[in-house]
Amino acid sequence: MFRDDTPALELRGLTKRYDDGTLALEDFNLQIHSGAFFGLLGPNGAGKTTLISAVCNLLRVTEGEVLVFGQPHDTQEARSWVGLAEQDINLDRFLTVRETLEYHGGYFGMHKDEIEDRAEEMIRAFGLTSKRDVRAPKLSGGQRRRLLLARALMHRPRLVILDEPTAGVDFELRQELWNYIRRLHSEGTTILLTTHYLDEAELLCEEIALIRGGHLIARDSADGLREHFGVKRLEDVYVKAMAS
Amino acid sequence: MTGLVWLCKRETLRVSKLWTQTVLAPVVSSMLFILVFGLSLGGRIKQVGEVDYEVFIVPGLITMGMVQAAFANNASTIFQARFDRYINDVLSAPMKSWQMTFGYTIGGIVRALLIGISLLVLAVLLVNVPIEHPFELTLAIALGLVLFASLGLVVGIYAETWDHTSFIQNIVILPLTFVGGVFYSVHVLPSPWEELSHFNPIFYLVNAVRFGFLGESDVSVWLSLGVVAALAIPAYAWAQHLFSTGKRLKS
Repeated sequence: MFRDDTPALELRGLTKRYDDGTLALEDFNLQIHSGAFFGLLGPNGAGKTTLISAVCNLLRVTEGEVLVFGQPHDTQEARSWVGLAEQDINLDRFLTVRETLEYHGGYFGMHKDEIEDRAEEMIRAFGLTSKRDVRAPKLSGGQRRRLLLARALMHRPRLVILDEPTAGVDFELRQELWNYIRRLHSEGTTILLTTHYLDEAELLCEEIALIRGGHLIARDSADGLREHFGVKRLEDVYVKAMAS
Repeated sequence: MTGLVWLCKRETLRVSKLWTQTVLAPVVSSMLFILVFGLSLGGRIKQVGEVDYEVFIVPGLITMGMVQAAFANNASTIFQARFDRYINDVLSAPMKSWQMTFGYTIGGIVRALLIGISLLVLAVLLVNVPIEHPFELTLAIALGLVLFASLGLVVGIYAETWDHTSFIQNIVILPLTFVGGVFYSVHVLPSPWEELSHFNPIFYLVNAVRFGFLGESDVSVWLSLGVVAALAIPAYAWAQHLFSTGKRLKS
């Protein structure tokens, strides 16, 4: 269990302006407590992926501060605490399933013995045993998605960021991934999930933030949001929030 | 340091998995140069200075094979990683920027060394090429590989299409290598071509390597090493700057 008083993630005045002038996030403030299951909802271009990329050191922040468990996000310590499964499949085409996990563990500073055991554990947990020596391009879409998640969890991160992990996957795999993510959360891992599926957000997340145009519109539990917007369904909350 | 070791392993693994493309093909094409130019033209040219022509061209051909491989390897590995976005796995890892630069540089150097050693063994067997000054040879090769491996990284980071990486290789590096004295001594060139050759950085690298092998060079070996070092250091610093700032790597 990792629960403590330090927020798992804290964004202070985070601003990102891309080189072409697009303002993706503006003076964005957010705090997610340790052990939370937090959902981020918003239309395409709302700034969800930009926010995630900022936390994971994948973009140059224009202004503001990002703290992971109290540490600046670009420190070695903070980086080792974050695991990211990106929206698009970005697996190394030269590596097999086993190598993908082992090299990721190596990049994240795991010891060799630990790497081998953990890689086998992940391969079993995600049903990739028969594909352990197969290269990523030869895997099916569902297997790639599983490997992507396994890779994100390989180094036992305290904060797991899942950027639309179930986009385009079938019902069975979605259930499977949900079960795994729930189990992970019950073990104390903080989860930040972005999704377009409102049912997914409602089912999994303790708290949901709605963002649009790089700004935070609202944040609360699903019930709290419904009450705040005076509607019965989360879909209606979403429609109202995005129209306001 | 664990991350650095694994990144070096990954870059080396890529070279070994693709060995027919990364090592065998360049060795075969360089050997064809030695056979075609050396053994056929060698019958007409006989000697350059005190050295048989087929021996004279070996250092330049080894240099050419190695620097092209160092450049091409690193330009393609980093471009592919950016294109498929699996570079994010490294960029988000708890590694320092110098470790990323060093790790990505290693693949090209390992590939070039494998090619160089293979060519050397074959050249010794075929034309009995000597190694007169091993220290200067080692230094020249080390500096040359740092220069071209770093340039490969820089080009791979700036490239927006595969064509950009091959453009630099085919339009800049290959022609400069050919006119850099691989096949001839620049002393045989008429003015102003001899003087112009001194503005070609590859000319200095070829001559430093040739001095290491044969003990002969068109210019002072220390001038050659100085010029190559003066280019290798900023090239590596440029690559390091890109990883430190995230320019072109992070949006």
